[in-house]
Amino acid sequence: MNESETPYGSETVWGFFSKKERPGQNMGNEENKVFLKLKGIKKSFGGVHALRGVDLEIREGEIHCLAGENGCGKSTLIKAISGVHEPDEGEIWINGEKVEHMKPIDAINRGIQVIYQDFAVFPNLTVAENIALNGEVKNRKKFVNWKEIHQIAERGMAQVGAELDPDMPLEQLPVAGKQMVAICRAIVNDAKLLILDEPTTALTEKEVGKLWEVLRGLKKKGIAIMIVNHKLDEIYQIADSLTILRNGKYISSGKISEYNDARFMKDMTGRDLVETKYDPAPSDEEVFRVDHLTLKGRFEDVSFSMNKGDILGLTGLLGSGRGEIGEALFGITPPESGDIYLNGKKIEIHSVADAIKNKIGYVPEDRLTQGLFMERSIEDNTIASSIRDYFHGMSLNEKEMREASERWLKDLSIAAPSIDPPVRTLSGGNAQKVVIAKWLNTHPKLFILNGPTVGVDVGAKAEIHDILRGLAKQGIGIIIISDDLPELLQNCNKIVIMNKGKVRLVTDNKIDKLSL
Amino acid sequence: MKKKTASKKLNDHIKVLILMMVFVLILMAVLKGPVYYSVNNFRSMIFQFPEYGVLSFGMMVCMIAGGIDLSLVGIMNLGGVVCALLIKNAGVPIPLACLASVAVGAGCGALNGLIIGSLDIPAMLVTLCGLEVYSGLALAITGGPAINGMSDSFKNIANGSIGSIPYVLFIFIGVLIVVAFIMKHTVFGHEVYFLGSNKQAARYSGINTLRTTILAHTMSGILGGISGIIITSHLNSAKSSNGSTYTLLSLLIVVLGGINPDGGGGTVAGVTFSIVLLQLIANAFTIMHAPDTLKTLVNGCLLVAALILDKVMQKRDMQKNS
Amino acid sequence: MNSKKKHAWLTSNQMILVYIIAVFSLIVGIRQPAFWDFATVLNTMRAAIFTMCFALCEMIVIISGGIDVSFPAIGCVAMYVPMYIINRVAPIDNAWFAFGLAVLIGLAFGLLNGFLVAILNLPPLIATLATSSIASGGVVTILGTREFTVLPSSLQAIYNTNLITYTSPKTGFQYVLNVLVLVPIIVCLLIAWMLKYTMLGRGLYVIGGNKTAARVAGFNVKKLQFAAYVWSGVFVGVAAMIYNILMHSATTSALMGDEMITIAACVIGGVRITGGHGGVGGVVLSVILITLVQNNLNMLGIPTSWQRFVVGIVLLLGTIITSWQTKRSMKMSQA
Repeated sequence: MNESETPYGSETVWGFFSKKERPGQNMGNEENKVFLKLKGIKKSFGGVHALRGVDLEIREGEIHCLAGENGCGKSTLIKAISGVHEPDEGEIWINGEKVEHMKPIDAINRGIQVIYQDFAVFPNLTVAENIALNGEVKNRKKFVNWKEIHQIAERGMAQVGAELDPDMPLEQLPVAGKQMVAICRAIVNDAKLLILDEPTTALTEKEVGKLWEVLRGLKKKGIAIMIVNHKLDEIYQIADSLTILRNGKYISSGKISEYNDARFMKDMTGRDLVETKYDPAPSDEEVFRVDHLTLKGRFEDVSFSMNKGDILGLTGLLGSGRGEIGEALFGITPPESGDIYLNGKKIEIHSVADAIKNKIGYVPEDRLTQGLFMERSIEDNTIASSIRDYFHGMSLNEKEMREASERWLKDLSIAAPSIDPPVRTLSGGNAQKVVIAKWLNTHPKLFILNGPTVGVDVGAKAEIHDILRGLAKQGIGIIIISDDLPELLQNCNKIVIMNKGKVRLVTDNKIDKLSL
Repeated sequence: MKKKTASKKLNDHIKVLILMMVFVLILMAVLKGPVYYSVNNFRSMIFQFPEYGVLSFGMMVCMIAGGIDLSLVGIMNLGGVVCALLIKNAGVPIPLACLASVAVGAGCGALNGLIIGSLDIPAMLVTLCGLEVYSGLALAITGGPAINGMSDSFKNIANGSIGSIPYVLFIFIGVLIVVAFIMKHTVFGHEVYFLGSNKQAARYSGINTLRTTILAHTMSGILGGISGIIITSHLNSAKSSNGSTYTLLSLLIVVLGGINPDGGGGTVAGVTFSIVLLQLIANAFTIMHAPDTLKTLVNGCLLVAALILDKVMQKRDMQKNS
Repeated sequence: MNSKKKHAWLTSNQMILVYIIAVFSLIVGIRQPAFWDFATVLNTMRAAIFTMCFALCEMIVIISGGIDVSFPAIGCVAMYVPMYIINRVAPIDNAWFAFGLAVLIGLAFGLLNGFLVAILNLPPLIATLATSSIASGGVVTILGTREFTVLPSSLQAIYNTNLITYTSPKTGFQYVLNVLVLVPIIVCLLIAWMLKYTMLGRGLYVIGGNKTAARVAGFNVKKLQFAAYVWSGVFVGVAAMIYNILMHSATTSALMGDEMITIAACVIGGVRITGGHGGVGGVVLSVILITLVQNNLNMLGIPTSWQRFVVGIVLLLGTIITSWQTKRSMKMSQA
């Protein structure tokens, strides 16, 4: 593992924006054979253009990064490559051969293996079985030869360079282990092109390092690798070349050396960073402060403060403590020690009830499983956390509940015919606005958002950012926890960077420091 | 217009139930009009459904909360046995004995909820074992034989009437109103829906999921205790094996009534219509002198039909939305 | 690593069951020295036959991610119909006929369960509940509720064939073990082999663990689900006929209510109710434990009327311990 590549370990905060270490520059990729070539791929679903003409070229022994904001068409493109969706127009060439009407099984037979974020593994089976079983099914085996299974697994792990106990049940492995198993399985099944969909979202810093090591090893073996990612620092660490999509359109492509931070941002978002930066009027009225906040094993001695109008960004890799602080301040896993001050008053957080009593709102990271009641109506979701406010005398006041929900529907411009349809019917962006509405309806004084725009399309993303800015101006403390650096740079005027459970640096996000 | 989309799916479901009721009523008018449409027949129907109707509301609450209560019949019999014993052997006044039955039900339910909520064990397993424990306790208390021959005034709870309207109808309506009010107009009721719809999100929305789980099962236990009083009075006998078919029947009623088996959906109104529909059908079988067991067969088919209907409607809904 | 594995083995669910069985036997043995007799083994085996057979049905279904509460009803039909035909329609005195018809009936209802769960995608608990009412309601409506207590001679011959005859030197009583005990023993071995060494067996675990991934990997999920429910139906047909032979009684309600203890036996044996886990070994131990408790509460001086309660408490504790074990092993791994 290469320690110097850990992004927050460099001497300047913006180290990961600088043009250090770019492995791709030294590679003579031009000589390698093109494995996959896409020409003018178009795909629409019921009038919505998901892909409007995408070109892509991936060579053997190359790590290619596919970048773009949410909703840019990345996942549709993967599905087109893996034969799940047939494109409406355009050509797919694999290994110099034009492929028509490709089905998933054709893609697999040609060596295309996709590792989705859920890895599609079997938690109840052992590592060895997970690696070998798919091949056994494909070969229409009727009986299980455990010796063979172990041999296949050992071979796969040796090729990948993974060290796992083959008899370990998969559910006992951390996420990174499951991902390794999925990679081994792909290799065992003769992968020639390995596609990884956002492989680092659930990994800690150390695990990301190990993943890069493994991928570089595979690259040397001549395997083409495509990584879907939108994290700049990681792209610089690993990728040889880059393709950027925006709104289903092909924007640019090239070797990683042809990009710098400014071009990358501009191609990703279509805007210059400077234009949209959040810059509130300075104030010295303190809204929120934590001193020496500690939860053993998660984070230690965390201190920061924010003033009126501030939007504070909290970032760092997974396992750095960024998400854990959010969960702690909201009382899901309460802090063990340290002081918390809200509007100058010391408060105690021991449970979610405490957090709500003190007017703290929290938008959790996983909207679907933690944030929303998918089958319930927009109204129900909106009043879920504030329902006690509507209990007057003997019963709930339904009229007030409806009025409040309708007001938020309008104020946050949630695109829905009324407050009655279930949240399941809404798009990611609108669903997230419902989660925000749920908390705004509790009139929070501190609003913590963990990954507020994950899976949200560009338009809604901008709207959510506007909402947050508006709230901050009203004097509500806003904390955005995110690994989406452009988002933090645009919207936060103060950024706390975490590393290994400790605050690495607190900075006011001044534009001149960036020297774009 | 707005109101219409609110509970469109549920309205659909209730519409189907009403249609089926109308169908049964018309069919019976044609086949056995005078017998079916007599005061006596309706009276005999009313005497029958409250005991399992009240039980079904208990099942409903647990299922909306994302669980199930298979121990309800055990709670019912334990409550009935305690009530009967107190009246017969200890000479406790009837209202107090009834209160004891309800308290026993609440205790059993709270225990279920506590184990389910605090240890995070599937409700099905806990209540399955609960059925053995509570029925076993009822058996242990009675020592085997049924407890018979309580006072006439106790017998009257489920067998007496004002004019031609049985008392139990009032009990049932009372329970119905209270349950409907709790589920629709109290914070707890809404929290039960939230819990069943998505437990994690409920926690992240500041709902105390352990407390809500315990309360939901306690409510179910209380309803079990009440139906224990009714059935004991109705049969004038308490033992550990009364109403053994009611677990299945109450499950059928709630699913037919549109309660989502995965939790979080369904209404009291749907369950109420479902109770009445099943009583109409059961009674039709009696009037037609069809064997009682044919009812079981038809109930099974109805259950499948209701579920398939739900799937079809869901699919249609999805297609409309996308 | 090695000591960690050893520790994990010593605290595994199966070993805990062994400890509990040992402690329970010790307690009963101290209070009643008569317990220490080969007769106890024979009695336990004899009493465990049905629970074991039912558990073998239920286990497969639960591993595949479902649940089957219809097997008691299916079993009742499967033993009642052949006996009805033999006694009242045509005196076909042939054991193959009796078992064959029982298997066919089980197959039919197994297919119905499979259809409801795999094709219509209904929740397994409710689907099998419906099958249960259809089976028992249907047969009673058509054939009525009688009890057949006389076996035809071919079945009586099986009843009279004993594997072991043993006279206790202490009491002088004679104990016998019927040859039918071989059925669950052989099937246990077959199932254990099938689960471990065939793709069918692994497929059952696979769909119990992650249905979507199973589909992606190329497993035929529907076929496997069908296999589980059909197996449950077919084997419960055999088990019910065994019950009929050993108990000399075929009624339409004899087995009703057995699903409770069977599911509990599976769960205590380490078959996770959510699917994908467990095996024959744990279930055998769990069935032995439950049978020992049921059979020997008298010896501990617990009155008959209290026994259901005590068994219920044992099941509840067993379930709680198992869930706690599961959670602990998950937590250990994350650390």
